[in-house]
Amino acid sequence: MFRKRDDEPDYARIPRVQAPDRNQYGKALNLLGEDDALAGKSLNINGDDRVYEGPDRYRQHGFYFNADNCIACHACESACSEKNDLPPHLAFRSVGYVEGGTWPAYARLNISMACNHCDDPVCLKGCPTRAYTKFAEYGAVLQDPDICFGCGYCTWVCPYNAPQLDPVAGHVQKCNMCVDRLEQGLKPACAAACLGGALDFGVIETTPRNRDQLETRIPGFPDPEITHPNIRFQQTRTLPREMTRPDSTPVRYERDAQGAGPFHTRVRDTGTTRRAGLNGLRSREDPLVVFTLITQAVVGAFLTLFLGPLFGLDVLSPAKHPVAYPALLFALLGLETFALVLSTLHLGKPHRFYRAFNNLRYSPVSREVASLAVFYNFLSAYTLIGAFPGLFAWLPDDWVRGAALATGWGAAITGPAALYFMSRIYRIAARPFWDHWQVLTAFYGNMLALGPLLAGLPLAVALHLQGQSWATFLSTLALPVIAGLGLEAIGLLAHARDMRRRGGEGAAAHHQQVTTFGWIYRARNVTLALAIAFVAVLAIVSPDGPSGLALWAFAALLIVAAAVTGRALFYVLVIPTTMPGAFFWKNPGFQEHARTTGLADMPQTGLVADTH
Amino acid sequence: MLFGRKKKNPVRIADKGVVDWKYTTCGYCSTGCSIEVGLDRKGKAVSSRGVGGADVNRGKLCLKGIFEHELFDSPGRGDTPLLRDRYYEPFRETTWDGALDRVAEGIKGIQSEHGRDAFAIVSTGQIMTEEFYTLGKLARGVIGTNNYDGNTTLCMASAVSGYKRSFGSDGPPGCYDDFEHADCLLAIGSNLPEQHPIIFWRMREARERRGFPLIVVDPRVTMLAQMADIHLPVNPGTDVVLLNALAHVILDEGLEDRAYIEAHTADFEAFAELVGQYDPVCASRICGIDEDTIRHVARVYAGAGAAMTIWTMGINQSTHGSDGVVGINNLNLITGNIGKPGGTSLSITGQSNAMGTREWSSCSGLPGYRSLEKTADREEIASFWGIDPDFFPERRGLFQTDIFPAIETGQIRGLWIIATNPMTSMPNTPRIRKTLEKLDFLVVQDAYRDVETNEYSHVYLPAAVWAEKEGTFTNTERRVNLVRNVVEPKGEAKPDLWIFNEVARRFEQGRAITFPETAEGVFGEMRDLSRGRMLDYSGMTYEKIESQRGIQWPCPEDSETGSPRLYSDGRFQHPDGKAQLIPLPFVDNNERPDDDFPFWLNSGRVVEHFHTRTRTGKIGNLNKFSPTPYMEMNPDSSRSLGIEHGRYARLVSRRGDAVVLVQLTQRVPPDMVFIPFHFHECVNRLTLGLLDPHSRQPAFKQCAVKIEPVAAEDDAALRNHAARAY
Repeated sequence: MFRKRDDEPDYARIPRVQAPDRNQYGKALNLLGEDDALAGKSLNINGDDRVYEGPDRYRQHGFYFNADNCIACHACESACSEKNDLPPHLAFRSVGYVEGGTWPAYARLNISMACNHCDDPVCLKGCPTRAYTKFAEYGAVLQDPDICFGCGYCTWVCPYNAPQLDPVAGHVQKCNMCVDRLEQGLKPACAAACLGGALDFGVIETTPRNRDQLETRIPGFPDPEITHPNIRFQQTRTLPREMTRPDSTPVRYERDAQGAGPFHTRVRDTGTTRRAGLNGLRSREDPLVVFTLITQAVVGAFLTLFLGPLFGLDVLSPAKHPVAYPALLFALLGLETFALVLSTLHLGKPHRFYRAFNNLRYSPVSREVASLAVFYNFLSAYTLIGAFPGLFAWLPDDWVRGAALATGWGAAITGPAALYFMSRIYRIAARPFWDHWQVLTAFYGNMLALGPLLAGLPLAVALHLQGQSWATFLSTLALPVIAGLGLEAIGLLAHARDMRRRGGEGAAAHHQQVTTFGWIYRARNVTLALAIAFVAVLAIVSPDGPSGLALWAFAALLIVAAAVTGRALFYVLVIPTTMPGAFFWKNPGFQEHARTTGLADMPQTGLVADTH
Repeated sequence: MLFGRKKKNPVRIADKGVVDWKYTTCGYCSTGCSIEVGLDRKGKAVSSRGVGGADVNRGKLCLKGIFEHELFDSPGRGDTPLLRDRYYEPFRETTWDGALDRVAEGIKGIQSEHGRDAFAIVSTGQIMTEEFYTLGKLARGVIGTNNYDGNTTLCMASAVSGYKRSFGSDGPPGCYDDFEHADCLLAIGSNLPEQHPIIFWRMREARERRGFPLIVVDPRVTMLAQMADIHLPVNPGTDVVLLNALAHVILDEGLEDRAYIEAHTADFEAFAELVGQYDPVCASRICGIDEDTIRHVARVYAGAGAAMTIWTMGINQSTHGSDGVVGINNLNLITGNIGKPGGTSLSITGQSNAMGTREWSSCSGLPGYRSLEKTADREEIASFWGIDPDFFPERRGLFQTDIFPAIETGQIRGLWIIATNPMTSMPNTPRIRKTLEKLDFLVVQDAYRDVETNEYSHVYLPAAVWAEKEGTFTNTERRVNLVRNVVEPKGEAKPDLWIFNEVARRFEQGRAITFPETAEGVFGEMRDLSRGRMLDYSGMTYEKIESQRGIQWPCPEDSETGSPRLYSDGRFQHPDGKAQLIPLPFVDNNERPDDDFPFWLNSGRVVEHFHTRTRTGKIGNLNKFSPTPYMEMNPDSSRSLGIEHGRYARLVSRRGDAVVLVQLTQRVPPDMVFIPFHFHECVNRLTLGLLDPHSRQPAFKQCAVKIEPVAAEDDAALRNHAARAY
């Protein structure tokens, strides 16, 4: 347990002050009733089971940041890293800045930010493993690295960049509010270390000595409505109307009138001449590109196989292909297994994969994984029953038929449901570029476009080899393919329009899409349009013979190329509503530069390989 | 729990397992923070924290102090002595006896062939005062070279020189407590939040309590400038003109303290006549500050009950550095602001023990603020050490910045460098490389084997760093504080004191003189030599220093504690007891921007680094904030040159070139760029470093460059990377 200094100065102690009953979001500051069963318990910090009963132990605490005073001396970050024994590539607290004006009427606003121990902790809700807990003690949101399996989803949903995914250790860690210091009546290490008179700490909604404001916003800080963060600000110095960030993120902040109103996030035209190459599409989320596309194709292919006969496509009935049909099902199962293994290896700690189901109540990740698991099991059962009828010969025929029907329908329902939950994963307020219904149209669009081709083309080849006609069959399957591509296209059009209209980080990401990634973006759009036209022509012309097959294969190639490029863009482009960085630290542009030029190979650069 | 798990898991928070805290004093800058190093069960240093009851830092530390325990095990430390015959040969490991014998032979060989002064010694501001005193005894009393100086010539020489010219002695007269009493604070060329964060904190706390006006003179909009009530973005190198103009207004409007001037200063008439020529209109044309502002600042400063001025390298590192300090002293003398609470001229010192070397190293004369030029001082020290007074030269030899040109032209053949890195820190480093390769014999004594200057050495002596040894530091406010030995030196590294004593033993005269083995023994000699003087240590002991968390000299033998201020009685150290008012004519001799080289090049430091990064460049949690060199440039000037934010640019001066990453910001004026000085093969490849005539300190902050975009980004990145061993 933490032991305080014998000569601990006053500034390090949390003062006792009057606080209101409710915070600015209407929530009670008292987190427990007087005789609540949770009261009077030890936090068991590092095995110390003593109970430290401070006067405000069950009230929500939070940081206070006086933006007028921060000098970016890094004392808070360093005190934090020293206390928590963090390697250079991690930081629970970071200082970035925004700046504006014209020399010498220049102003720089430094912002020191860690976890805000929010009223509505999106990290906690998003975490599939339930590694997070919001404690009644001080309202601290604590994360347990021993539970975490390193999916990094909390780092996606947090608007403040508080959870830190450690690529070396393979798990997330974050600010623990220094609850060990709080139990001793001391402010967290960062607040006690502050040299500028900027960072402070106490019961939320209380103003430190010599401070006036209790603001919930300052320029550069994300919309507090996302999580109701427990941080309050003072910012009284007049700022220029426009503030920019020193990092490579193409956003700036602008208010409508000088000296009045909130700052809005706007696109910053970096005027860069740099154009991303295809390598720019690579990211640590590459496994997710493969995982999502395969899963969507597999669900679509299964739907094609299972529902086809219902729509009069007798060609697709299992009886017609005693070998090809089960082989195809096994292939789908194999593909999906591969996709699932890939997504599991994407975890920092793959051996903890089973924890993915732990938070069905809140986490879209848990729900996706659970529904996908159910789909996978139905698909397996359906495949087994269809492929090895002999295995089930001892059962009454009706039962076997019933089981096949039940598992088939089970997979047909849970598959699309899993894709719906998959799309919910990306509906993150802190990632505006993703937070759009286009995610759903893209996922279902890919299901409709890729699935029928994945099921239909091998069968067409099989038919061809048996000397049977397959042209009409593929022309029929072209309908869902065109529908899927159309759905995706409509989503993309609406997405582009809405991103521009909404402004902020979404617009900035879209701006990157049409500038830095402009040629790739356009190539994808053209490919998509071409694919729609090409498939339509094929459907009408219904070519036959080997050349017909080649034409269909080419159409599939176009569709896959558009899908992979589009999905890669989706992951690469997103700009979170995180805090501004500095010129080096937390600057994605510099980090990329350091990694490509080898500077990052020196450990003291504070960067490690961005693997996952 | 409100959300999350139903069962409460135990909370785990990093515990470094500290079992013992050891008292020491920070080894970076001269703020002089008391710091405790935490040792775990195995005796490994694992944590640092400020000492709550220490008056200087009151429990706080800046980021460098917070990670100071990581110094001991940082990469690049030397752990064994190294030898080679030519600098371009590989080193071979040797024993201490082998290395020290070679050092003594080398010195004797050069001295017997080329004369005593052909061997030079350049030391530092980083080692303990006891070590400085011992090195001084060795250099002046045993080796007997007059070309012996410290790297303080690059940082505080102008302050020393200015104090001596105005007050008759070195020694900052003020203290941090003056912030609590000042009614006006003028900061010239000092960026406390970046350079001295703890002093900034003390100042800011005082200002929050009492709200005195802060006036900042700096061409950049530093954080301090941004916090200021009045910011004067002065033209580079013209501070003296501004100071003369302020004095002009004060005298012109009768705002001066007549009684103080008459009682405690000399030569007022000549001074008044000179400043009479610097009316605010003429001055504004030179220094770039409009006449109304000059008048306003002069009235505010003179009208304050107590006003103080602080400065750092913005004043010191210029061709008029010493004059700038004198100008500040003039301003405070005519307003009666010396030696009183809140009224002072306080140089904010750079290195942890720059003050210790000024006081005791004998670089500029003899120990304890004694001078070679005074017969009585020579005789006193000679008899104390037990040598012939005629062994001492009668006037001081070359400064560091003159030692290098003397090597270049062959008057000096051998050099011993102690804990400093001229390959990075001197101006015009292409010339320094040429100079160092000419040496017949170079000894580098440093805690780091990878210190860049070691590239040219013949002998490398691995020294203990910071709290691997014991001794005292003196800080900016004359506070002597104790560095307790916390851990053993790495490998075979040895304390500098041991090295000096061992070298002394290898000379006949060294064996005849007493060289105390322990730091505390040396401290005893210093106490004896300071008794009854202004620089009085006689009332201090190690125990007393530790229990009081540092003591400010003068601390006479029978006094409980030290003295916060000097000259409170208005008696100065000139023979007449008065302070000199010195007229300061201004001649602009800087290399100014022109059509070929259109930008001012300014340099300075950043909070996460110290000096040439031999220490901070290896601690990831510091270095990550600026791992590679960059330049601040105004976006209004970059546009037409095609220079982009976050990409490389090449700077060219009349000396050399450098590549840096570009940070576009309105913090710097359109005709100036700023580059931190910490990085090897960077800003000092460009600088001219004209010397101040009094202090011989180089003007690092004023020269002219041109800037061009870099077409081949990858080549620039490669070149930059190749210059970064750390």
